[in-house]
Amino acid sequence: MRKIQFVNLGLQYRSLRSEILAAFDRVSRQGAYVLGKEVGLFEEEFADYCGTRHAVSVANGSDALYLALIALGIGAGDEVITVPNSFLATAWAIARTGARIVFVDVGNDMNINPALIERACTRRTKAIMPVHLTGRVADMDAILKIAKRRRLHVVEDAAQAVGARYHGQYAGSFGVCAGFSLHPLKNLHVHGDGGVITTSNEKIYSTLIQLRNHGLVSRDICNLIGINSRLDSVQAAIARIKLRRLEKWNRRMRFLAGIYSSGLSRFVVVPEEKRYEESCYHRYMIRLEKRDDLGKFLENNGIETKVNYPVPIHLQPAAKSLGYRRGDFPVAEKLADTILSLPLYPEMKDPDVTFVIEMIRRYFERRGSCEKGPAGRARRRGFRFRRSATSKRGCYAKA
Amino acid sequence: MKKERNYLPEQYSRTAGLPINHNYLRQQFADYAKILKKIGRLAQEGDYTLGKQVDEFEANIRKLTGSRHAIGVGSGTDAIFLSLKASGIGNGDEVITTPYTFVATIGAIVATGAKPVFADIGEDYNLDPALLVPRISARTKAILPVHWSGLPCRMDAILNIARQHHLSVIEDSCHGIRAYFKGKAAGTFGLCGCFSMHPLKNLNVWGDGGYIVTDSDEIYKRLMLLRNHGLADRNECRIFGYNSRLDSIQAIVANHLLQKIDAITKARIDNARLYDEVLREIKQIIIPPRRPDAVQVYHLYIVRAERRDELQKYLLKNGIDAKVHYPVPMHLQPAAKIYGYKAGDFPVCERTCKSVISLPVHEFITEKQIKTVAKKIKEFYA
Repeated sequence: MRKIQFVNLGLQYRSLRSEILAAFDRVSRQGAYVLGKEVGLFEEEFADYCGTRHAVSVANGSDALYLALIALGIGAGDEVITVPNSFLATAWAIARTGARIVFVDVGNDMNINPALIERACTRRTKAIMPVHLTGRVADMDAILKIAKRRRLHVVEDAAQAVGARYHGQYAGSFGVCAGFSLHPLKNLHVHGDGGVITTSNEKIYSTLIQLRNHGLVSRDICNLIGINSRLDSVQAAIARIKLRRLEKWNRRMRFLAGIYSSGLSRFVVVPEEKRYEESCYHRYMIRLEKRDDLGKFLENNGIETKVNYPVPIHLQPAAKSLGYRRGDFPVAEKLADTILSLPLYPEMKDPDVTFVIEMIRRYFERRGSCEKGPAGRARRRGFRFRRSATSKRGCYAKA
Repeated sequence: MKKERNYLPEQYSRTAGLPINHNYLRQQFADYAKILKKIGRLAQEGDYTLGKQVDEFEANIRKLTGSRHAIGVGSGTDAIFLSLKASGIGNGDEVITTPYTFVATIGAIVATGAKPVFADIGEDYNLDPALLVPRISARTKAILPVHWSGLPCRMDAILNIARQHHLSVIEDSCHGIRAYFKGKAAGTFGLCGCFSMHPLKNLNVWGDGGYIVTDSDEIYKRLMLLRNHGLADRNECRIFGYNSRLDSIQAIVANHLLQKIDAITKARIDNARLYDEVLREIKQIIIPPRRPDAVQVYHLYIVRAERRDELQKYLLKNGIDAKVHYPVPMHLQPAAKIYGYKAGDFPVCERTCKSVISLPVHEFITEKQIKTVAKKIKEFYA
C-alpha cells in the first residue's frame, strides 16, 4: 500500500547531507561550539531575510517568546493578550514571566480576532501576542492600530510563519519583537531545538544579547540576571544552509497547497488566502464536521494526519487557575473539534497530493452526501455509477 | 507597406527590443553554459535520438504527473496527432473540439483523416460541457478538450459525457503543464494527455518538442511504435508509423528546466494574480471568472477588452508587447471552409476572439512592469 507520512525529514537530509556534514566538520574544527562565528552570520542573514535590523538566536521557540517579553519589561502584575488555539508554548511563555494570560477568541482565519482585542484590554495590559497560526500572518494592520492607540507592545508569535508575507512584508517584522522556532517540524529547522527573536529596536537588541547569556556584558561583568539560552554553532551552520533554500521550499509548499485547495474545496473548508496574504503553509489545515472519522479513514489508507491542536489551551488542566470555562471562546473551541492537518512538505511529489485528494474524495463518495455538482446530485438522488455488462464503460442509473 | 508578421509565436522575438515583451528566452537561458556542457558530453557519446536523456526525461514526467507512462515526441502537434492515431481514430470519424484554439489542434485532427466538429466555449474560454452533447453523432469517436491558457476544462463533466456516449478523451494540454483540476493534474484525465514544449511554453526546449502521458499500457505500446517508424527493433516493423522523436539534446534542455518548473509556475501564477488585482479597477476590461476548482498556470494571461484593436496598437506603441490569441476562430479560417461553418455558429467564441488581448505574464515580468501595463491601459481608456 502506498504510504504518505505526515512529515519525512529524512528526505530533506538526504538532499543536503554532504553540505550539512561539511558544516559540522567546519564548526568542529574551529572549536567555537557556543556563540561562534556561524551564529553571528546566521543572525545577520536571518534579520536580512525578515527585513529587521537584528536577529538574536536562542535555544528554542519558547525561550524566544519568553525572552522577548522579559526584554520588554513584562512581569508579575501585567497582562498579555493572546489566543487559546495555539501550541501551549505561546501561553506558557507569558506565564513564565509572571504576567497573566488573557485569551481572546479567533476569527475565521484561525488567527486573533482584532475586533475582540479592545474588550479584553485593562489598565494592566502591556502587550498583544498574535500567533501566525499555520503560517498565515494575523491581521496585523488592525492589531497594530489598536496597539498604537492603547500603547501596547506587539510581540509576534511567528514560530510557524517563517517566510510568510502580509502586504509583501515578512512575518516577524511587524511587532517590536517576534519569536521564531527552529524546531524540526518547522519550515526552517535545525537538527534539534532552536529559536530566533527578530527586532529592529537597538535597546531591546542589546538587552536580549545579554539575557540569553546569563546577563553577561563581557566575560566577567554581569549587568542583569539572565538565563542560558543559546543556539549551538553547529545548529546555526545548518540553519544557514537551509535558510538559503527556504524561499524555494515555501514556493513549493504554496503550490502543493494550491493543488489541495483545488481538489478539496468542494468537500471541506479549505484555507482561503486574501489577495495580500502569502501563507507559508507550515500546516495545511482543512475543516469538517466528522474530522476524526476522516482521519481514521485516511490512516487506514496509509495517509498520516494530525490535529493541531485538539484541546484549546484554556481548557487544559494546567490552565484551570486562569478560570476560563468551555464556551468562553466558541470559535476556537469549534476549530479544535473540526480541524485536520494533511501531510505537506516540500519533498512531497505532486502525485502524492493527488493521491491524498483522491482518498478524501473516496471517503465522501462512500458517504455520498457532501459532494456538490452533477455527480453528487445524482448520487444523492439514488443514482449509482454502473458498469455495463459488455464493456468497461457505464453510466449513472437508479439502483 | 511592411507586412505585419506577428501571427505566429516564433515572431515574438521580433519585438525583443521593447521593454515589456512576451519573449524571455534570453533571460531564461542565461545559464546556457551549463546546458552546453551536458550537450558537449552528449556529442562525445553520439546518442542523439532516443538516448538515455529521453528516458530520464520521461521518468521525470512520470514523477511529475503521476501517470503510468510518458512518451517524448517531436512536437505538441505530433503529440495530439499520434494520440488520436493510437486510439484508432481515422477516416470518416469525428472529433469534437473547441473553435477557440491554435490551429495545431485542428491540424492534428485533420491529419488523421477525421473531421473536426466544433462546440462552443464558455466564459472561461474552455469547452462548455453542456454544449457538447448536441454535437455528438454516430460517427463521433473522441472529445478533444483544450486546456486553454493553462486553465483545465471541467473534466469531470466531460468524462461523464464521454462515458455515456462511449467516446475517448484526448486532452490537448499543451498550455496546461502543471495545471490541476480538482486536485488531479491536467493531462491525466483522458486516455492521453498531449503536451508541447515549444520555446514559449511553461516548460520549453530549444526548438520543437512534446510529450504524451497515458495510463493505458496498450496505448503506450502503440505510441512507442508510432513515434519511431513502427519499428519493434531495428529490423521488424509491426505497423507503418511516423518519425516523431524527442531529440536527446532537447531532452537535456527539458531536464534542466524541470528543476526550475516550480519557480516558473509560481511566478506566472503570482504575476497573473497581480494583474487581476490591478486590472479589476478598469471597467472596460473583463477578467474571466477564476475557478476555485482549478490551479491555473497562465501560459497566457488573457482578458477581454473594449476597443481591443485600438488598445493593442496603443500598448505596442508604448513598448508593451500585447498579443491576440487568436483573432480568427478555427471555424472561420479559410482552411475550414470545406466544413461549411459560418459566422454566428459559435457566438461566445466569436465574441471572445473579437475582444481578447494577451498581456505578458512570463516569469521575468516584474511587479513594476505589471503596474506600468495597468497604468497604460488606464491611460488609454481615460
